[in-house]
Amino acid sequence: MVKKTFLALGLMTIVFPVVAFAADPSGAMLDMGLNSLWVMLAFILVLLMQGGFILLEAGSTRMKNAGHVAGKTIFTVGLAALIYWAVGYGVAFGGANAESTLSKFIGWGDFFVNPGTSGDPASEGFPSAVFFLFQLAFAAISLSIAWGGFAERAKLSSYVVFTLFYIAVIYPVVAHWIWGGGWLADHGAQDFAGSTVVHLSGAVAAFVATVLLKPRIGKFNKDGSANEILGHNQVFTALSVLLLWVGWFGFNAGSTVAIGDGFFTYVAFTTMLGAGAGGVAALMISWAVTGKADITAMLNGTLGGLVAITASCAFVDPWAAVVIGLVSGVLVFYSVKMFEKLKVDDPIYALSVHGMAGIWGTLANGIFATQELADKVGVGTGGLIDTGSWKQLWVQLESVVFAGAFVLVSSFIVLGIMKKVMGFRVTEEQEIIGLDLSEHGVYGYPEQLKKPGQGIQG
Amino acid sequence: MSDPARSQFAKKIASADHIDGIRCLRDQMHEQMEALLPSRPVEQLNEQLNEMHDAIISRAIAISEAEMARMGKGSPPVPYAYLLFGSGGRKEQTLSSDQDSGVVYQDSDTNIEEVKTYFKELCTLIVENLIAAGYPPCEGKVLSDNPEWCHSLSEWGEKLNGWFKEPEWEAVRYLLIIADGRCVYGDSALVDALKDMFYTDTLGHPVIIRRMTENTMRHKVLVGIFGQLLKERYGEDAGSLDIKYGAYIPMVNSIRLLAIQANLRETSTLERIRRLVKERHISAEDGLGYEQAFRFIMRLRLMTTEQIENGVYENNGKLPSSKLSKEMTDELKSSLRLGKRLQKAAYKQAMGRLT
Repeated sequence: MVKKTFLALGLMTIVFPVVAFAADPSGAMLDMGLNSLWVMLAFILVLLMQGGFILLEAGSTRMKNAGHVAGKTIFTVGLAALIYWAVGYGVAFGGANAESTLSKFIGWGDFFVNPGTSGDPASEGFPSAVFFLFQLAFAAISLSIAWGGFAERAKLSSYVVFTLFYIAVIYPVVAHWIWGGGWLADHGAQDFAGSTVVHLSGAVAAFVATVLLKPRIGKFNKDGSANEILGHNQVFTALSVLLLWVGWFGFNAGSTVAIGDGFFTYVAFTTMLGAGAGGVAALMISWAVTGKADITAMLNGTLGGLVAITASCAFVDPWAAVVIGLVSGVLVFYSVKMFEKLKVDDPIYALSVHGMAGIWGTLANGIFATQELADKVGVGTGGLIDTGSWKQLWVQLESVVFAGAFVLVSSFIVLGIMKKVMGFRVTEEQEIIGLDLSEHGVYGYPEQLKKPGQGIQG
Repeated sequence: MSDPARSQFAKKIASADHIDGIRCLRDQMHEQMEALLPSRPVEQLNEQLNEMHDAIISRAIAISEAEMARMGKGSPPVPYAYLLFGSGGRKEQTLSSDQDSGVVYQDSDTNIEEVKTYFKELCTLIVENLIAAGYPPCEGKVLSDNPEWCHSLSEWGEKLNGWFKEPEWEAVRYLLIIADGRCVYGDSALVDALKDMFYTDTLGHPVIIRRMTENTMRHKVLVGIFGQLLKERYGEDAGSLDIKYGAYIPMVNSIRLLAIQANLRETSTLERIRRLVKERHISAEDGLGYEQAFRFIMRLRLMTTEQIENGVYENNGKLPSSKLSKEMTDELKSSLRLGKRLQKAAYKQAMGRLT
């Protein structure tokens, strides 16, 4: 037995000589390896958030559209990967025009990205490939948020066309302004993981889409009162929030893109507080105002807390994270009511959860950011409470207004032309039988739903 | 409706010999009552309205008896009493209340099956005639033509014993229904006997009171923690207030609980409140407040939208908030706050009895 063990060990050293004889890796090499592992893990977590969006959108809508909702999410993530690789990444982070003034507004270069097979520990914190993947996952999240405004009535072809423009131009431009060295970055705009870049952009696109599409059949009555079109599976919706919540640790904590001194754990910590506070506040306010502890409101509040803390997770103290989450939960509740009053049909509450909470989270930096953490991250200054200065709040307002306006106008142009040229919405008949059948030919729940006409012969 | 008109109306009802004539009279009554709603004190209006309903229902029963005789089925073999439950039992019918009814008849030593069959056929006829007169049948099947609600006195006794022995949810609901039962036609002594059994058993089983409380507390008063009114948020009735289940029923339930514990036989909510005050179960001040709040809620209940569907008068118990003036909204809020306080007090008293 002992003999056999020695023999085996001896053979192993011959087969894998590296193990025995490789030189120790340098500290920088180890550092890069750890960073890339962490960013890779974060990418995987953020990509998995698409599973959350599938469940969220499918659960909040009706059975007859479930297969379409789920399938189109996977498809558009794949399409987005190709577009982002070919064009989008270059517009967001390309540095070929770094010397010109144009670089304040748009990046250029690095199209059809070829990241190389490894990173250089002497000059990079991580290899470019992992950074590309991580950024792509964010773009895809923003896109899936925009789909909220399309839900249950847009043609499949309109998803394809909008993906092209959104991933190639609209999203990358905003990302460039704030994260790619653009003009808002120069002003010191703080948006750690994308309350504005990812969430507000997606929500504004969803808003434009839902306004151009008009409400779903049956959402509003002639007298202006709203009907509740209940989603078909509340368990899906709750599970989606859990998936998104878990994924959010890749989203926020991963945005440190470094292991360093362990700052990413603090970011995760404030994220957790914000999410919890959002859900609690939303449940309480719905109970106080409507007399019922509404589950949908609570789920939206939890997501709202996450969206709001996304901008500020690296800049604020723990107590402020709780306040930001609490405010967000209440804000999302009232925002849902407001959009309903305005007769804007928002099937999965994207405008409130990602839009309103995104705006609040971005502005919250201007109020709650501390000088100490702003210095640590190296972006902007402390907010109103810590420094007494309105400067950061002003910068934050600037990013909300300009990023929001840019997405509003550009989405309106793209979707408006699309509506004129190829049509945006399915026909009334198609909407009534469901997009599963009209766009794909089969129902996602074939046993629960009968194809029209089937009952007549049988 | 002035008093002479009222008595003339009663006379017309009493002389109607066909159900179609009764329906005609009822339709006329509706128009007159609706015109009176804004001007008359609600209690007086309610009293007149319920007198009319009682007269119409009694007449429909008498007509049904006569039809039975004409069909060669004879006259009632034993004395019986026709009971109204629900709002009819409480003398709180609106212009569009449904039928909740039952029958108790005297035990006979012979021909037990024949007697049963007679009442079964009579009740089927009565329920049909009342539908023709515009009273929709109770969705919960609490109807005299349902064999579960048509028994001889001794059968009722067994029924009650069964319910008391196993007070699960349905049984407790039935017991609460019996508490509001009132004789509208026939031999009221039979109803008194039934009520005697009911009260003896209820007071002898303190756990029943607790189960009744649990059964009724799920209807919440529609006022939020900020004192705001909780309105319907979606659908055709968005912006409406559910006056029936959010204001009226919670008060009815609470007062009924207090009345049962005090062994009071009154069935109308206002009469129950007055007796509770008289026998010092609640203070005069509270009683006055509750009475006032309840009267206001009754007025709103009479204002809820009604429509005729499939030939019968229907009502969803909901009131669009646009029909409320500023003063009425304020009064409703304070009435609901009182209702909430009453509900709490009733809950505490009922649950405290055993602990």
